[in-house]
Amino acid sequence: MIGFIVLLIFVGIIIVAFSAIIQSSLADSIILFMGVGLGSVVLFFIFKAPDVALTEAVIGAGISSLIFLMALKHLKAQV
Amino acid sequence: MSIKRSLPTATLSGFALSAVLILTFLKILLQNIPTSMQRAGDSLLTLNANEGVANAVTTVVVYFRGFDTLGEIAVLFIASLGIGLMLGENERCVIKAQSNFMLHTAAQLLFPIITLYGIYVMSYGHLSPGGGFQGGVIVASGVLLLLISHRDFEVPHSFIVTLETFAGVAYVLIGLIGLFTLDVFLGNFLPHDVRQMGMLLSGGIIPIIYIIVGIKVGSEMSMIVQNLIKRGDDV
Repeated sequence: MIGFIVLLIFVGIIIVAFSAIIQSSLADSIILFMGVGLGSVVLFFIFKAPDVALTEAVIGAGISSLIFLMALKHLKAQV
Repeated sequence: MSIKRSLPTATLSGFALSAVLILTFLKILLQNIPTSMQRAGDSLLTLNANEGVANAVTTVVVYFRGFDTLGEIAVLFIASLGIGLMLGENERCVIKAQSNFMLHTAAQLLFPIITLYGIYVMSYGHLSPGGGFQGGVIVASGVLLLLISHRDFEVPHSFIVTLETFAGVAYVLIGLIGLFTLDVFLGNFLPHDVRQMGMLLSGGIIPIIYIIVGIKVGSEMSMIVQNLIKRGDDV
């Protein structure tokens, strides 16, 4: 049962990551990148790494995507 | 002007000489690593029982590899410094967009809860998953929420500088006290009874160091977020 869920999340992460690459708008790519982070949080938790899961939830899916969005805002203002 | 003229021979030869010296020094050092530093994996887990800390990951991060953690927070400090240098010269931007009433109220309601949760994660780092890094970033995300929803809100720069300086100095001081009392940098000089394992007050200096790491990470991340949001062109 757990193995099936893990397989589903794996496939989901790969699909989300691939669609993040092929987006034409950078903002959409960043939002999809957050999705990759969320999927890996569940994976880390199942793989007995709760410390890494908490770090990924806070830094990978939270702050780093927001920093990407802010950097995108500054880039748009410069171009 | 060619690149050859801008890099004179003296600089280049000095660079090569210092590279050779560093490599020789590293080779001598790596040949004579004391056996106490070569432990990893199971032997570290066996040693963890002596420290009276329930979360073995915390013991490895803060105690057995405590100097590496000091380097990591130095890296984060340099990142914060770089963002401050790049964006600090810009004028404070005026956020013209009025934040929505619901965001305004919800931010006031959520900010204390987020901060409390961050402090909980920091201070229970030696008992449950989590710790200084995660707790600090959670506190910084609460600051981010306030920065987005309240136009006039700004964390005072002097406050951040005080907190961060205090945390950095305290980390090194605790390490040096351990060096002078127990002959090990970051030696655990406070009482750490194994029978206390699982209590809030256990593990000697390990929870104290993780709280210090949390304060430092929280202030650095808040400064990064504030610089990114407040400095720059008008929105």
